[in-house]
Amino acid sequence: MIRMEHVTKRFGPNAAVDDVCIDIARGDSVALWGSNGAGKTTLIRCALGLFAFGGKILVGGHDVLRDGKRARSLIGYVPQELGLYDDLRLSEAVRFFSRLKGLRTPELDAVLGGVGLTGHEHKRIRELSGGMKQRLALAIAMLGDPPVLILDEVTASLDACGRQEFVALLERLSGSGRTMLFASHRLEEVVALATRVVVLASGSVQRSQETGAFAASFGAGTIVHLMIPPAARERAMTGLRAEGFAPTLNGVGVLVPVHAERKAAPFRILAEAGVPVEDFELLRDDRAGLMPSQEKESGR
Amino acid sequence: MTSAALRLGAASDGLPAEGRAPGMMTNIVTIAGRELRESVRARWFVLYTVAFAVLGLAISMVSAAATGGSGLASFGRTTAGLINLVLLVVPLMALTAGAGAIASDRERGMLQYLLAQPVSRLEVLLGKYFGLAGALLACICLGLGTCAAVLALKGMGTKPSGVLWLAGLSFLLALSMLSLGILISTLARRASVAVGTSVFAWLTLVFVTDLGLMAGAIALRLRIEQLFALSLANPLQVFKMWSLHAADASLDVLGPAGLYATEEFGNRLHWIFGVCMMAWIVVPLAIGAVVMSRRSPV
Amino acid sequence: MKHACTPILIAVCASLCGAVTTPTKHDVPAPPRNVGVFAERGEIGRRIAAAKEGATIEIGPGVYREHIRIDKRVTLIGRPGAVIDGAGSGDIVEIAAAGVTLRGFTVRNTGIDLEQENAAIRVLAADAVIEDNVLDDVLFGIDLRSAPGGVVRGNRIGGKDLDIARRGDGLRLWRSDGALIEHNTLHDGRDAILWYSSGITVRGNRSDNCRYGLHLMFSDDVVIENNALEGNSVGLYLMYSSGVEITGNKFVRNRGPSGYGIGLKEADRFSVRDNLFTGNRVGVYLDGSPFTTKQPGVFTKNILAFNDIGVMFLPSARGNEFFENNFIDNIDQVSVAGRGSLDGNRFWRGERGNFWSDYTGYDRDRDGVGDFVHESRTLFESMTDRNPQMRLFLFSPAQQAIEFIGRALPAVRPEAKFEDEVPLMTPVDIAFSSESSSANGIALGATSVGLLGLGAGVLLGARKEGIS
Repeated sequence: MIRMEHVTKRFGPNAAVDDVCIDIARGDSVALWGSNGAGKTTLIRCALGLFAFGGKILVGGHDVLRDGKRARSLIGYVPQELGLYDDLRLSEAVRFFSRLKGLRTPELDAVLGGVGLTGHEHKRIRELSGGMKQRLALAIAMLGDPPVLILDEVTASLDACGRQEFVALLERLSGSGRTMLFASHRLEEVVALATRVVVLASGSVQRSQETGAFAASFGAGTIVHLMIPPAARERAMTGLRAEGFAPTLNGVGVLVPVHAERKAAPFRILAEAGVPVEDFELLRDDRAGLMPSQEKESGR
Repeated sequence: MTSAALRLGAASDGLPAEGRAPGMMTNIVTIAGRELRESVRARWFVLYTVAFAVLGLAISMVSAAATGGSGLASFGRTTAGLINLVLLVVPLMALTAGAGAIASDRERGMLQYLLAQPVSRLEVLLGKYFGLAGALLACICLGLGTCAAVLALKGMGTKPSGVLWLAGLSFLLALSMLSLGILISTLARRASVAVGTSVFAWLTLVFVTDLGLMAGAIALRLRIEQLFALSLANPLQVFKMWSLHAADASLDVLGPAGLYATEEFGNRLHWIFGVCMMAWIVVPLAIGAVVMSRRSPV
Repeated sequence: MKHACTPILIAVCASLCGAVTTPTKHDVPAPPRNVGVFAERGEIGRRIAAAKEGATIEIGPGVYREHIRIDKRVTLIGRPGAVIDGAGSGDIVEIAAAGVTLRGFTVRNTGIDLEQENAAIRVLAADAVIEDNVLDDVLFGIDLRSAPGGVVRGNRIGGKDLDIARRGDGLRLWRSDGALIEHNTLHDGRDAILWYSSGITVRGNRSDNCRYGLHLMFSDDVVIENNALEGNSVGLYLMYSSGVEITGNKFVRNRGPSGYGIGLKEADRFSVRDNLFTGNRVGVYLDGSPFTTKQPGVFTKNILAFNDIGVMFLPSARGNEFFENNFIDNIDQVSVAGRGSLDGNRFWRGERGNFWSDYTGYDRDRDGVGDFVHESRTLFESMTDRNPQMRLFLFSPAQQAIEFIGRALPAVRPEAKFEDEVPLMTPVDIAFSSESSSANGIALGATSVGLLGLGAGVLLGARKEGIS
């Protein structure tokens, strides 16, 4: 569905994206993983045909540079932050973008209800919270039920609560045969949404692997094994996920892969969530993996 | 949960998504409508419209008072004052409106969001152009309409055709200045720079070129035909001369150079002024479109 | 347009130059005459030949293709529909006997020979009455040569559709004293002109689209009143004439390359009163007038409105008095050609000056006279007086900038061109039928409603969707 061939984008002497080849089949959901400056956003903008680049990107068989309008008509796009006229009412925004997408006037209740914005249609965009704005952006992206959804660090500007809600919303959307490409540096998003993870560093593809394998490799270094009473385990899982950890359950408690320097973080989170920790142990994790924090910050 | 997802799915109208990009005209109209709606709500529009109408009103009242209701019709201070007003206000309004159009959207991230939709850059540019043009048209009509109302109530003999010509030509002037503003907007990195540049362009067109040409004409002893030809390079002068020509069918009021133009070209002046004005409308917009298609929207 | 204008310019220049170098009264050659064409008589000719002295001859409707010479004192009356057609050659009617009346004919289609001065009606004898005729497609219209005491009344004279240089004069008097010219209409001709004719009254005539609406050459003691001279190259031009009263006339849109409402060249003993000057290139043009200093040139109770230049003085014009005139929105109210001064002229008489629409003072003691002197000194005007091509920048903000500089910096402030020590606060009440009909007001109102409607329509259209 999305096919990137030798995509290269330079800003001055620096290559923000360097010879990237990714092939995403219909129904696949691919996460772009990498630190800030790894080239995730640039690659996504290339895929939208927002600027010229070397190589080729096809969306649904249409070249995004030569036939950008056709290609983009297949894409629903949610940016990091919705930049729209502040004065616009939600109803107007929905109507405007429906028209640009060539749709008949949509049913506002259905569109806004789907993202939990029922009853807000007369509000202006500036009156919305960050989370509501992102949900509106998602509703706009989903207008016309596009086969491809491209998300660019959509939760980056949200607080923990908003993030959780938003990811839950996306989870409901994925797995319906839609092709998804999204940039993220939050493990729980990747785990929840992606079928495959492409790790980018300094604009190049470092590796590409199944989400399971990626998540397993993520915590290279240390695993904190927390003994938690069964009743509180679900709460612990949610709380840790919300903070970007990828906990797994075992018979006695929760296994949390952590950075070597952040071993205490799960304790704080659980204490705040009121989850009792009965005991813990530190395990060494031998699986090779590349920590996002260990990547070189490539200047873009 | 699931029901919400289903409802979200049901929001689509069930048409196949493949290749459903609307035509160019549709998109231009959609974007123009959006831009127009946004403009007429904006503070700059209200301010300019009120200022234009109030100043025009003042000019009409003063000249009505000065003629003592004699009801004489001719080219007088009223028309001259209105031309002067248009020359000051309309270019400033159109230039700053145009300058804000692309640059501020780029700054707010709106431009890249818009371009991520199934639209082309030319559609966005033209849509914004026509939307702003509509707002400027409304402003000019309201301003000059107010003046005409006062003149009619005061029993002035101003010719209606003269007012209509002035309105039409003011709109053309606005279009040319809007083109220039949009060009500045596509080139500028930031909205503030674009607006600053457009104000500078306004100063240049309104004062600097004319004063320079005056000084040059005296210092270099330009012949009147050279003076006339040079003055055609300034769209403001073209507007002024065209308005006079349309109001009076003669430019002789402008002294030897105007007399030369009237005698040499007669009614072909309409074509000459028209071509100059069209060039000022089309060329900056075309360059703007090229710049827009090459520049990153981010 | 170009082809029409250039010859006008040449013609007017040529005529002006010619006029300037015109020799004195004594050696002017008499105009040529042509007699031969009248030899062959038609119906009207036979009726005249058969008539007795003093008879009245009525001519029924019909087109009479003939050239007529009236050589006895008869009254010739054309019934409605009586047309005398000159078939495009020569003169048509020649009056050679005193006391002839010619009334009610349509006379059309003269020759186009300027040398021969082909005329519709040529009068060569005294006391002719030419009344209520329609002259159409004629080179010269009515030509009185040494025909004193004539009456030319209620005729309509239309010229040929030719370049101005190839047209003849609609009306010409040559050494024909004491004539009365009234209620005639002239259009599309060259000039209406009086040569060496004194004691003439010119009243209630109209002239459109001619070269000179009325031109006086060496003609003294002429009364010119209630005429309307519109859209000519020049309205009224007085040259070397003395004792002229100009009252109650309208001079409108006379915009030829000279384009004067009234031009006065070396005229003397004149008064200009109760006239309307509007839309002319120059309302009043003064060159060497008054010629002697015995009597001031008097201009009073005139409206000078919306002319490019209200009054233009050549430096040679001295001894004029302007008072109780309304100067309204002329682009230049008063202008002096070259760097002359207006010292020899006054803009008030007694305690009464003029109304100036650009007067900026006030009247604290409410006596109707402004408390400050009205003086004109704008930097831009003084620039354009010196460099007329700078007028190209008129009405531009650059002009305003220059005038602002002129006000702000005393160093570059020009000297006052003229002063009115007792400017009037309100316009002098001068009765004129209003130029603008109520139809214009309605049309202007409709225009306003249309524009406002369009503007409001755009606004509402834009907002409509916003509310939903």
